[in-house]
Amino acid sequence: MIRESDDVIVKTLARILMPFIVVYALYVVMHGHYSPGGGFQGGVILAAGFVLLVISHGLEQTRRRMSEKMAGAISSVGVFIYGGIGALCLILGGNYLDYGKLSKILGVHQAEARSLGILGVEIGVALAVMAVMCTIFFAIFTVGETDEDEGSEKWPTSS
Amino acid sequence: MANFFLIMGVGMCVLVLFCLYRATCGPGVLNRAAGISAIGTKTLIILLLMGVIYGRVEMFIDISMVYALLNFIGCLVLAKYLERSGEVSC
Repeated sequence: MIRESDDVIVKTLARILMPFIVVYALYVVMHGHYSPGGGFQGGVILAAGFVLLVISHGLEQTRRRMSEKMAGAISSVGVFIYGGIGALCLILGGNYLDYGKLSKILGVHQAEARSLGILGVEIGVALAVMAVMCTIFFAIFTVGETDEDEGSEKWPTSS
Repeated sequence: MANFFLIMGVGMCVLVLFCLYRATCGPGVLNRAAGISAIGTKTLIILLLMGVIYGRVEMFIDISMVYALLNFIGCLVLAKYLERSGEVSC
């Protein structure tokens, strides 16, 4: 179990840095087709923000904001966005992930519909990657939490 | 001018080797952590120099910012792990 850090420097730095991390992750997701980056990288940066939160403010406080159940739900929603946009193109008469066909329901030009479709797919990928990374990190950092180890009497676990 | 940056990049690569020596056979865990952190910082500078050489700094700045962020968080995680397992002994 990771306790809340006593270090003022780490906590203050995390508090200052966290908004910038989120904004930068959104920038990476949005500008995936102009610069290096995209859905996967943006999701990894978002997950890095959560890792920083775990390190500085402890696991309990992070779980209050992002529980394992919620992480699973968000990853499912991300995959659903990805598959849903692909299936929508399929329904509208194109191939799978053929974004040009989205212009019929979005009411914009075909090239703009392509751009918007790519953006939607990347948002879905970013959500899924962020949630799965958080799940992996929580799973790794809570290994042996319920087992009896030498740390369990010092920090009694709630479960 | 590109030649100057190329020489600087090669010099940085040579310096990485020294840090790699400290990271692989440095006595104690703290020396290794410091060596890994220094390698990350030097990689960041090498990335920026590559951007200058290729003439696409605006693209390499994105990568280097992510690299700096992940290096910082990785260093914190390593410190937390060492604090938790109580292996800090120089």
